[in-house]
Amino acid sequence: MIVLEAFNLKKKYAGEIEFAVNDFNANILKGEIVALLGESGCGKTTILRMIAGFEKPDDGFLKLKSQKIASKDFVTAPEKRGIGIVFQDYALFPHKTVNENILFGLFRLNKDEAQKRLIEMVALTGLKGLEKRYPHELSGGQQQRVALARALAPDPAILLLDEPFSNLDAMRKNELRFELRDIIRKAGTTAIFVTHDTRDVLAIADRVFVLKKGVTIQQGTPEEVYRKPADSYVASFFGKTNIIAVDSNSMFLEDCFDLTIQKTDHEKNLVSIRPRAFRIAEAHTEGAFEAKVLEQLYFGEFLELICETLKQPTKLVVHADPDFVVSSGKIWLCVQAEDVTLIKH
Amino acid sequence: MPVLVIFSGLWQDAGIFWMHIRTELVPEYIKNTLILAIGVSTISLIFGVNLAWFISNFDFPGRNFFSWALIMPIAIPAYISGFAWAGILDYTSPAYTFLRNTFGWNTGQFLFFDILSISGAIVIFSFALYPYIYLIAKAYFDRQSATMFEASASLGRSKIYTYFNLALPMARPAIAAGLSLVLMEILNDYGLVKYFGVDTFTTGIFSAWFAFGDKSAAMKLAVYLMVFVLFLLIFEKMQRRRMRYSGVSEGKLMSRIKVPGFGGWLISFFSAIPFLIGFAFPFLQLVYWSFDTWEQFLSQGFIRLFANSFLLAAISALIVMISSVLIIYTLRLYNSRRLKVVSVISTLGYALPGAVVALGLLVILTWTENFFIRQWGLKIVITGTWFGLIYAYLVRFMAVGYQSVESGSEKISKSIDQAALSLGAGKFRNLWFNSLPLLRASIVSGFLLVMIDVLKELPLTLLLRPFNFDTLAIRAFEYASDERVSEAAPAAVMIVLAGLVPVLIINRLIGRRKV
Repeated sequence: MIVLEAFNLKKKYAGEIEFAVNDFNANILKGEIVALLGESGCGKTTILRMIAGFEKPDDGFLKLKSQKIASKDFVTAPEKRGIGIVFQDYALFPHKTVNENILFGLFRLNKDEAQKRLIEMVALTGLKGLEKRYPHELSGGQQQRVALARALAPDPAILLLDEPFSNLDAMRKNELRFELRDIIRKAGTTAIFVTHDTRDVLAIADRVFVLKKGVTIQQGTPEEVYRKPADSYVASFFGKTNIIAVDSNSMFLEDCFDLTIQKTDHEKNLVSIRPRAFRIAEAHTEGAFEAKVLEQLYFGEFLELICETLKQPTKLVVHADPDFVVSSGKIWLCVQAEDVTLIKH
Repeated sequence: MPVLVIFSGLWQDAGIFWMHIRTELVPEYIKNTLILAIGVSTISLIFGVNLAWFISNFDFPGRNFFSWALIMPIAIPAYISGFAWAGILDYTSPAYTFLRNTFGWNTGQFLFFDILSISGAIVIFSFALYPYIYLIAKAYFDRQSATMFEASASLGRSKIYTYFNLALPMARPAIAAGLSLVLMEILNDYGLVKYFGVDTFTTGIFSAWFAFGDKSAAMKLAVYLMVFVLFLLIFEKMQRRRMRYSGVSEGKLMSRIKVPGFGGWLISFFSAIPFLIGFAFPFLQLVYWSFDTWEQFLSQGFIRLFANSFLLAAISALIVMISSVLIIYTLRLYNSRRLKVVSVISTLGYALPGAVVALGLLVILTWTENFFIRQWGLKIVITGTWFGLIYAYLVRFMAVGYQSVESGSEKISKSIDQAALSLGAGKFRNLWFNSLPLLRASIVSGFLLVMIDVLKELPLTLLLRPFNFDTLAIRAFEYASDERVSEAAPAAVMIVLAGLVPVLIINRLIGRRKV
């Protein structure tokens, strides 16, 4: 079932020349966790704010459960939408306790129902024992869970999260990502979150929209986007990659890598190969090629080798096992055809 | 020191006058003070808080003008606004004459009502002092995080509910801090209550001193006054401590909402009330009077009056600023706890009513003089000299200069000092070439603020001034008390104009623009 539909959503801020959001289209299904990914200024936060009702679209429309909530000349007020939000700074009410914060949006229920819902939320988010505390008496992770409980309490049709991990310390981020995903899953909510960190996307999103300058460049599951990036931007966004031009006349890839790539799309004239895709092979192995090692950088989890192929010199970044020892200054590498992705510029 | 001396008054022998004062007058003083406090709090809160909210969050006709015009009443000392309004409502006032002749309105001896009463005093105080609440509340609302209100909306709450249940409670410490300043000003006031015939502790202190000649009774009254002040001080400190957790963000601020049509004009009208009552009408009345008496004012020893006032203010401000800079600079270099205590104590004087400071100093100075005579037979006169007066201003207004320098100093990284010292600059070289230029703006604004406070000061100056010595404030007050209001006007106009300078400074300091 489609919970939220965005059609050709456009937004331009006063005094700006370019659109902050340009023709954003999406159908968000019930129970999905969707990520809007991009650098700052890509329009992801603007989309979130239009869904929440804090910004008005210049064109296109938004439908929540088939009801139109925003278009060029019609907007439903945020307080009438039934959409939950977890803000980047959490926006907890500093003069209210954890309980009072969670109860804030439960005014449509009667007292007993509200209490029941409160207890459910406290249990769901693991806040037991902290109910009487004030926000400044909680850690960052606990504050986030209060914000989550408060947003989920009125059972919103959709939950929006603005950069949910940016305020948490790096050490615990991983743990908190999965904690957040579990809470959203258990609550059975549909969620959209905004982030600039691909690790957030890979860890918890079911689907991702990669945005650049207000335009959706690619959408799909995190795995699809990681393995089959649409262009060089997406490819490099998801970590280091080797981007090599495929000149249709030259036989570079065949020559060098001993690979034949089927070119079906004329726009796609680059290939992306992740550093991890290269295997170090025995010398003179069938299908392997030789490269000179220019530099070695130790990263703990892997060893990064900056190499240069001997035939038609091209620089490559290769990630090897951390205990690999480069003996002669030269190595033999091979790569599988399925790890070579044709992309657009 | 003056405070301790005042409290020593508790154990002094009581004269017969004191018995009379305590049974007959003190209950009256307490009652009047409380009525004033409650009345003024109510009105100034309604206007101060709501206007701060409107100006901070809404766009309506005249918003930009009102955002600074609403501070302007602070430039008119309450006693000056008081006699100006008494003039406006008087039978012979231009306003009443005009209304009577054009529309045939006749409301008796006074236009509408007799303002020389306690309710009149409440109105005058409210519209003279609400800017303290307005300023602090506005500074708070301007920095309030937008997400807090968006969170409320996303949880389905209406804007009015959000105002009363989020905005106001979160702003409460800021509002309370402003309110306590308002109340301190009421306790400090002598001019308005005297002119309006409302007996409070300050008028009591004056009459005990001058009319009864009973020093110990005056001191005992000062003790009562101090109890009120201490209560306020503790209250204010408590509220400030709570302001730390108050939903102010460094992030996104609220954007202003345009209020179209009738609603917008309604807010403009509401904003105009305190501006007109607190500033425009009384100021125009003063200017009107001044047209008649300007030349006379200029001819009657004006130069001396002017020189006295400004020289006194400038010297006092200079000494305050030098002491402030030295204390703060030393605190920057050495984190001395003892000096910190000294700095806190030296800035407490601002909370003390001028009459109390004056009384305490008088006692100390008399002791010192007697001590010199007894020990060495030296006759040194400090009481009733410029020295005594300036010392009193230093006690009373140190905080104004100190806080200005302190806030400037907080913005300058300590590593700048450390860099300069590590490059071999001496401490004085660093102060002169580094800290002073960096602090210039704060020092200048602190200097001006102190100067203007001294210019407006009334009760302290009245008690400690040298014989036959006049300042603009005293001239304005004395002429007004003698029912020579139009002759008082030119001096009052000058005080108001001088008072507008800090308004401009304050407006620039808090003028963080929102889009």
